Amino acid sequence: MWLPLLGLLIGIGIGSALAFPIPGAYVKYLSVAVLAALDSAFGGLRAILEEKFDSAVLLTGFFTNALLAALLAYLGDRLGVDLYLAAVFVFGVRLFQNLAIIRREVLAAWLRKRHLTSPGGGKNG
Amino acid sequence: MRIHHNLKALCNKIKLKKWQLPLTLVFLISGILLVSVLRSLAASNQTPWRQKNENLVAMIQTQERIIKRLEAEIEEKRASLARSQEALAAGEAELQNLQNKLRELKVQAGLVEVEGPGIVVFLDDNRKGAEAAQAKNPGQFQAEDFLIHDKHILYIINELRVGGAEAISVNDQRIVTSSDIRCVGPMILVNTTRLAPPYVVKAIGNPDSLARVLEAPESEYNILKMAGFPVNLEKHPNIVIPPYKGSYQFTFTQPKEE
Repeated sequence: MWLPLLGLLIGIGIGSALAFPIPGAYVKYLSVAVLAALDSAFGGLRAILEEKFDSAVLLTGFFTNALLAALLAYLGDRLGVDLYLAAVFVFGVRLFQNLAIIRREVLAAWLRKRHLTSPGGGKNG
Repeated sequence: MRIHHNLKALCNKIKLKKWQLPLTLVFLISGILLVSVLRSLAASNQTPWRQKNENLVAMIQTQERIIKRLEAEIEEKRASLARSQEALAAGEAELQNLQNKLRELKVQAGLVEVEGPGIVVFLDDNRKGAEAAQAKNPGQFQAEDFLIHDKHILYIINELRVGGAEAISVNDQRIVTSSDIRCVGPMILVNTTRLAPPYVVKAIGNPDSLARVLEAPESEYNILKMAGFPVNLEKHPNIVIPPYKGSYQFTFTQPKEE
């Protein structure tokens, strides 16, 4: 578990060190890409906990989601419709879903560890 | 598939679980993107919330400028008010001065009721003397020899003035600069008001010096007294003399330019 966290820290470090200026007009696309990246990261964690992790799915999902979100934002800009909100909405919902599932899995694992059984966790969370 | 295979081999070699490397990559890129966005957002002022803030800040600054301007205005108004009040106070002081002077002049002109020490002189016709004279020598009797005439009053007033009288009245008629005293048959006209005996002449001044002048041998009062008229005088610590009630109307007189 420590390696992805280390990766995150290194990423933050690189981002801080790079400090390449992003034109104000592109900040929106980047924001959507960040959401996609976060969605993929949590999706990956969730997959690990559900024991159906696939690195190919994760990586392709990560890049295509980020690209698609950026494309959507661009298209929205062209059409004069805030289409990037669709990406924000979808990724937001999925982030919450993923987090909820991760929470349940972690909780279930913890309970199992303490021999309190009830695998699968409560469905009422 | 070759990359996948190689990756798997690498993972096995350094005893990594198969998910750790891709996830690390995802986290790495996420971190880079996140920090870049945050940094660029922090650097630029183009985000809506910041713009809103700026609008608010601009509004507040405008309001503050207005407040400052209004405060300056208030300060200026206050200063002007203070100046006006000072001017007014100066004017009031001047007015007070003028009023004091006016009061003084009114006192001198006899337009206010005054009081002070002085003497009261009572004068009456010599009725007893008249009766006696008529009984004794009716042929030579002359009634006017036993009456108080206008000149008696006039002389007594002059004598009082000599004695330093500051305010004089005859039967409560204030004697002022324009007062007239003349005879109209059995009565005397003072300030065009008819007065009948007995006459009460009041004068404010040093009672002793007034009495001394009146009681001098050659004075009118003394002559009346010697002639047997029922006259007497009283020194008084506090005499009240009423004001002159007539008017001062100057039709022909103009002040001459100095």
